[in-house]
Amino acid sequence: MTSEPDVPDRGGAPSSRHRAAAVPAREPGPPAHDRPAHDRPAQDRPAQDPPTHDPSAHDAPSGAPDGGYRTRRPWSARRLPTALVATVVLVAAGAALIDVVLVRAGRPAALWRRRLADELAGRPVDDVWVLAGAAAAVALGLWLIVLALTPGLRHWLPLRSPEPGLRASLDRDGAADLLRDAAMRVPGVGAARVRVRRRRAKARADVHFRDPRQVKDDLTTVLDEERDRMALARPPRIVVRVRRRTR
Amino acid sequence: MASRTTTNRSLLALAGLILLGGGLLVLFAGFDLYRRLDVAPPAAWPLTGPDDVLLGSADRLRWSDQGWWWWPAVIAALVLTVLLALWWLFAQLRRRRPGALPVGGTPPREGVELRDRALGDAIAAEAGGLPGVDHADVRITGRPARPHTHVDLALTPRAAPGATLHALCEGPLRAARRSTGHRQLPTEARLGVTHRKPHRAE
Repeated sequence: MTSEPDVPDRGGAPSSRHRAAAVPAREPGPPAHDRPAHDRPAQDRPAQDPPTHDPSAHDAPSGAPDGGYRTRRPWSARRLPTALVATVVLVAAGAALIDVVLVRAGRPAALWRRRLADELAGRPVDDVWVLAGAAAAVALGLWLIVLALTPGLRHWLPLRSPEPGLRASLDRDGAADLLRDAAMRVPGVGAARVRVRRRRAKARADVHFRDPRQVKDDLTTVLDEERDRMALARPPRIVVRVRRRTR
Repeated sequence: MASRTTTNRSLLALAGLILLGGGLLVLFAGFDLYRRLDVAPPAAWPLTGPDDVLLGSADRLRWSDQGWWWWPAVIAALVLTVLLALWWLFAQLRRRRPGALPVGGTPPREGVELRDRALGDAIAAEAGGLPGVDHADVRITGRPARPHTHVDLALTPRAAPGATLHALCEGPLRAARRSTGHRQLPTEARLGVTHRKPHRAE
């Protein structure tokens, strides 16, 4: 697959209502410096551009030189908890089914079923075990509801993407590595640790020489630059902490 | 993919609500909260006081005396539950892959098809050569008419993710759109950074 310029439907009718905008507009390969003009919320825009492709419509960093489409945060499919719940349901229903069928066929009920029924019939509701079980059920239920309603994938930071069909995210640890490497390039920094969270990135650096205040200023500048090179949809605030350590 | 997410989350919420409701019912009765809070539970409320049991003998008698249809109904419900749980479990393990993609849009022009793996490998090969990319891995999922691309990029430590993403969009993804004729090729890109020990700047 090479990037040959022969495009079959280039210049064809503006088909495919989904994509009507963006790609035909970009197809001629606008150089990087052209994009801000396209992304600017200008009034002289071609009328067929749907408003959803205007990055400023999604409170994106509209004034930024490299605006881009702010992509939605990816939502996890919650496969693992779902598989666990499905397995539990499957085992419970399967065991009950087998036993009910066997009892209908004239066999005595299984031991676990008789024990369970006796326990449930013998213990009042204020028994410690019943209460503990109920509390566990409440906690588990709340946890499942939280899992169902929250996006998850907290480890992935969404990126501003150059076009709407592309959703991209950057690993948090990867972002931390990039920031740390950038911090290590500042003269005077002997060691640096960076922790990136979704709203805030904390950088701690040991200063071996130079004035710590100056190093801190340099670090702030460098890390802000590095963060901006990541094109994060929601750039975290960077907090720099330095301490002098001469060894 | 989106539909599976929705189904999973709805069913997880349902399971959570059932557990939460059952647990609260027992806790309210166990701590005798109805009497302490001075509220009267409705008439047929299952558990009202701390001396109630979860499965009284009256319940057992009532359930075993329902008539001939009761046990067949229970068995049918259990069979249905087992089948749904199986389907739900296997839906998590399965990943839908298109197999072959029609080239030139649907219906395929002149019957040309492209294996999904071939397309993925081609995108990965081109993406792996982009500046700042250490390694690229591409999977194609979805239906033949609506393929989805999943791109995993491992960036080199000096890469700029923003610029790399732009290059990915202008290069391999655009080429894939051109060569398959799929004018929209929804793509999900995950960018990581190849880990390495911190080292002094040169």
